[in-house]
Amino acid sequence: MKMKKILSFFMAGVIMFTVVACSSNDKKNSNLMIYEQKERKVINLFGPMEKSNPGLDNMARNAFDKTISIAEQNLDLTVEYRTYTAENYQEKTYDDVSLDRVRNNMDDFYLLNPDTIQILGNEGKLADLSVLDNAKNLREVVKTANTVDGKLVAIPQEVVVNGLFVNKDMFDKYNIKLPETPEEFIECCRVFKENGIETPVGANRWWLENFVFAQAYADLYNGGHTSEEVEALNNGERKYSDYMRTGFEFLKELIDKGYIDAKKAYTYEAIEGEGPDFMAQKTPIVMAYWGAANSETAYGNPDFEMRVIGFPSKLGQMPVVAITGYAVGVGSEHFDDTMDVLNTIISDEALKIYTETNKVISPSKNVEVDCIPALKPLNDRVEENVYVLGSNAGMKLEQWGNTCIIVRNLLNGATVDECMAEFDRLQAETLSK
Amino acid sequence: MERKRGGADKGIPLFISIILVFCILGVVVFSVAKKISVEMSSSAIHNLSESLNLIKGTVEAILIKEAEVQKMIAHEILGSDNPEKFILSYDKNKTMVKMSIILYGQYEGVSNNGEVFSEKELDFSAGKTVDGLPISKSYINSMGTWAYTMKCPIIKNDKEFATLYIEYIYDSFDEVLPDEFYNGKAMLYFMDAKSERLVLNPKGMGERDAGHVNLEDFYRANNILETKLQEEVSDCVSLGKNIMFYHDIQYKNSLIYMWSVNDGTIYLIGYVPIEAIQQEGRSVNQNIFIVVLVMLIAFLLCCILYYFNNRQQNKIREEREKEREIYNKQLSEALRAAQIASSSKTTFLSNMSHDIRTPMNAVLGFTTLLDKDADNPVKVREYTRKITASGQHLLSLINDILDVSKIESGKVALTIGEFTLNNLVSSVDAIIRPMAKAKEQSFDVTVTGIKHEYLIGDETRINQILINLLSNAVKYTPKGGNIKFRLIGLKQRSNQYEHIRIEVEDDGYGMTQEYLKTIFEAFTRAENSTTNKVQGTGLGMAITKSIVELMGGTIEVFSEVDKGSLFRVELELRIPDIKYDNQFWEKSGVSRILAIDDDEEICKTIEILMKDTGVAVDTSLNGKDAISLIQKAESEYKMYDMVLLDWKMPEMNGIETARSIRTIIKEQVPIIFLTAYDGYEIQEEVFDIGNVGILAKPFFVSTFKEKVIEMRTKLNKENNLLKAEEIEGLRGINILAAEDNEINAEILAELLEIEGINCQIVENGQLAVERFSNSAEGEFDAILMDIQMPVMNGYDASKAIRALKSKYAEEIPIIAMTANAFAEDVKNALDCGMNAHISKPIDMELLKKTISHYVKRKE
Repeated sequence: MKMKKILSFFMAGVIMFTVVACSSNDKKNSNLMIYEQKERKVINLFGPMEKSNPGLDNMARNAFDKTISIAEQNLDLTVEYRTYTAENYQEKTYDDVSLDRVRNNMDDFYLLNPDTIQILGNEGKLADLSVLDNAKNLREVVKTANTVDGKLVAIPQEVVVNGLFVNKDMFDKYNIKLPETPEEFIECCRVFKENGIETPVGANRWWLENFVFAQAYADLYNGGHTSEEVEALNNGERKYSDYMRTGFEFLKELIDKGYIDAKKAYTYEAIEGEGPDFMAQKTPIVMAYWGAANSETAYGNPDFEMRVIGFPSKLGQMPVVAITGYAVGVGSEHFDDTMDVLNTIISDEALKIYTETNKVISPSKNVEVDCIPALKPLNDRVEENVYVLGSNAGMKLEQWGNTCIIVRNLLNGATVDECMAEFDRLQAETLSK
Repeated sequence: MERKRGGADKGIPLFISIILVFCILGVVVFSVAKKISVEMSSSAIHNLSESLNLIKGTVEAILIKEAEVQKMIAHEILGSDNPEKFILSYDKNKTMVKMSIILYGQYEGVSNNGEVFSEKELDFSAGKTVDGLPISKSYINSMGTWAYTMKCPIIKNDKEFATLYIEYIYDSFDEVLPDEFYNGKAMLYFMDAKSERLVLNPKGMGERDAGHVNLEDFYRANNILETKLQEEVSDCVSLGKNIMFYHDIQYKNSLIYMWSVNDGTIYLIGYVPIEAIQQEGRSVNQNIFIVVLVMLIAFLLCCILYYFNNRQQNKIREEREKEREIYNKQLSEALRAAQIASSSKTTFLSNMSHDIRTPMNAVLGFTTLLDKDADNPVKVREYTRKITASGQHLLSLINDILDVSKIESGKVALTIGEFTLNNLVSSVDAIIRPMAKAKEQSFDVTVTGIKHEYLIGDETRINQILINLLSNAVKYTPKGGNIKFRLIGLKQRSNQYEHIRIEVEDDGYGMTQEYLKTIFEAFTRAENSTTNKVQGTGLGMAITKSIVELMGGTIEVFSEVDKGSLFRVELELRIPDIKYDNQFWEKSGVSRILAIDDDEEICKTIEILMKDTGVAVDTSLNGKDAISLIQKAESEYKMYDMVLLDWKMPEMNGIETARSIRTIIKEQVPIIFLTAYDGYEIQEEVFDIGNVGILAKPFFVSTFKEKVIEMRTKLNKENNLLKAEEIEGLRGINILAAEDNEINAEILAELLEIEGINCQIVENGQLAVERFSNSAEGEFDAILMDIQMPVMNGYDASKAIRALKSKYAEEIPIIAMTANAFAEDVKNALDCGMNAHISKPIDMELLKKTISHYVKRKE
């Protein structure tokens, strides 16, 4: 009886299948095929990376791509990425190319480092973004860092906090306390070196200036007289070199004692050079941005206990906030659409997705997220409002790029005095404009 | 098993055939799919190369156009007065972003943006040209994008006048390229062959992590790490060849291409996943697989259906075979049973024939002798005695046959009534003891553990059971043997029922184990040289078992040849709601008695049975202890009102004990001897003790009570005399008898006449009614009524008489007299208004007693 039922159902299925398979749609009999290609708006973004397909594993870019995807969907357009990566240090840097492209209106909007924001802002090449609806949600520190001549020229999707990534297991192994001050840091390096760690600090050509900023501006940003001191620097009453000297001397000592390999640091790109040794537990200390702790392609999921702490300063561990940002060229071919795209990707909705994906500090006052345990020491300091800015558009002398270049000089063999002289020259040059 | 193996043998070739079909199908499908795949792949590769050639052609056309334009500009400059001014007047466009000129013999020139221009920033060392114009190595220009420069000599009067440099950007190619390649699944980069830098990623053709920096980065990002492969690629690139190769990229088998543009100045490099190339082929293969899969599923379903159908058929066939086997078995069993039954009945008939003929032969033989010796009263009496004995035997045979017939037809009904075990045991004892005595066998009756003497049940049938078992025991036990009859009270399962066990044990011939298996079947009889001497119908045990089962009881038998047999019957009989007449004992002045017996069980039984009477019972197991107890009681002034004393005891026997007791207690206190022996034998021995009585074992309260009454009233003789007078008083009474059988009527009339009773015989019920209705009141003292009569039967006649509406008719005793001897017959007779029932053949004593009873009542 049961078999008969099954057989009946099967036969019914076969008949249905046959009927459907043999049926034809008369409406499709026409031989004329009309192909309509809808012209779609294309907005060009110049950034350091290419666009990813959904589902790929680069967490940082995925977060950005997700927000871009929201914009593409909401605004019915396509955002195309253009990118550039220097083959070697002799080639033009990303920042150099960024400057050229903004100046020649090559793209619609750009992801810029703080120094280029400063330069291009001063040149008037960047549009005022304060007119965007969602700009009102931004934290004050973000606005301060990116305002040039009263214009908000760049808006980030995350507040980039740089810190020292340390291998806690190696510190414990040699019974070393996590360093608070420059002296303690030197002592740590000494112990590591004595225990056979050839280069205790893994460095690259981009991020060594964090040590300098931590020591240079600890008092400036945490002493309660920030605006007065910035003003004094802008009008030449005070010298940048006075602030920077201790940091450079500190770096010089690290280089001289072999705690940093200057030659390698001069040529290493960020993470690509020093990263593998850190992950392989050959180097106990590296420096990187907050998001690197969450990224599989950077320092996410290490085989050891990792901690992210601030850079050593006389006020203890000091996070360095370096805010990159998206800027719109004033000569953008699709200016209005580009402004709409930027407005969308800094909306609370988009920033929430970005922040939750990357577990970073959001530039929006309305978006908060929990951090992973490794980042807690750094987060605690930021929550206490203890940090220094790596870039400040309010300072007439661009900080991030210039300091980076001067640190490279130091790596390349310049003396501290020569470096300080360069600061003085730059300050004079800036003030003379 | 053979059949199963046969099924398995069939299944294996079928299974192999199916597998073979599958394999062939698989191979065909695989081959077709592979062929399609290869063809499609080849077609796709061709299609890819065509696409790349198209792009290549487009790019080369642009380059040539650019070179031609540059030549035209150079020509224009030649015609201008001031070449530098001409250059400075140029505004850049989307393709030509910078124009410069260096006059012949100078190292520096000027650009259209007014800046000083020098060739040293450019690298023309690769020696590549476009339409004859040298093209530089690619570089990042001042706009931050990848560019190249072509230089064009300006010839004036066959002399090189100056060199025109125009910078072109790669972004301009993006405008003419398709938006995507292979549905966006293919990657495409422009590579500068000299620097191996990737200089353009057309929109929609990039991929994160695809390696966008240079060829090395492309290899690294796509995991193309084979050095040999890289060297081969480099060789081809250096020669400006177009190449393709397969490699896994991001876990997908892909086709990597490097397509030379402008004789290897630029390379189009990228990859396409194979699945993207073979999309159509895969789709076709998928469809083929779907079709094949559907066919396979259909085929499998057919196989499954066939298999299930086959299995179902086999199952049905097996079931039918099983059923057939069962039927055959049942038929053969039925045949065997029929044969056995037939055989049994044949044997039975043979036995019956023999058993009936034997007494019949005796009757007829003695009748002949009687006729011959009619004048010799001694012989006549002897012959009549033997004829009577033969007749009795014949009667018992007929009764048994009728019983079996009744039982087999399920018409047996129990006549439930109240009875006492005392009566039961004494009646059985009265029958069996003389039989045992005749064979010099000891017959021992024991009653133990019985709690209730009065019970409800079919006394007649229980009696029948006991008589059957005991008479068999006597029959099948040789002279001098021992017969034991035990009545044992078992633990009650319910307060309302007495659970009794009846055991009949003998040490007689015993039975074989084979016979034990059929002992309770009808028409069987133990056959051996010894037992064949014993007459019997072979129905007794079958009847017994049927009756026991009818009563809800069980019967078991244990026996060994030459050792004896034990029959064990267990019955549960209802206890009646009797209020014990405890006042009797009070009135009789009996409140405390002493029981003396060496058998502890008997003492216990007496205690149990007397429990409900309110009489205190002390027991003693021997004479000495009894005397001590009596002395003690005497001293405490708590004398026993009666002493029960076992006749036979070890050491001090009953008589000695009684004599000793009598010295202590007064003669008013009766001493009653308990004995299993004939009381008359001991009566003389105890006569001198004074106030003694004899009570037959087993002990029952009722008999004890009777004995007490008997001893107290001492009216035995008077009663006996009265009874004699009663029977004597039948002389002269008139009886109407209805009997259709002339011989029986004659015998009845003769017998009654001998007893001095006047009898009128009528031939049927109708005549009896008529005769009675015509009689004067008091003319007849009783009516004897046969049941089965022509015209009107006994039942109807009795009803008719009772219906005559006169006191005479209502009260006259009607006694049924019939060969219908079953309990139902008795019941029917009583229901029709008759007073009593006597079964044929007529027992004269019983008839007299019955008539006496009713006629007396009438008076």
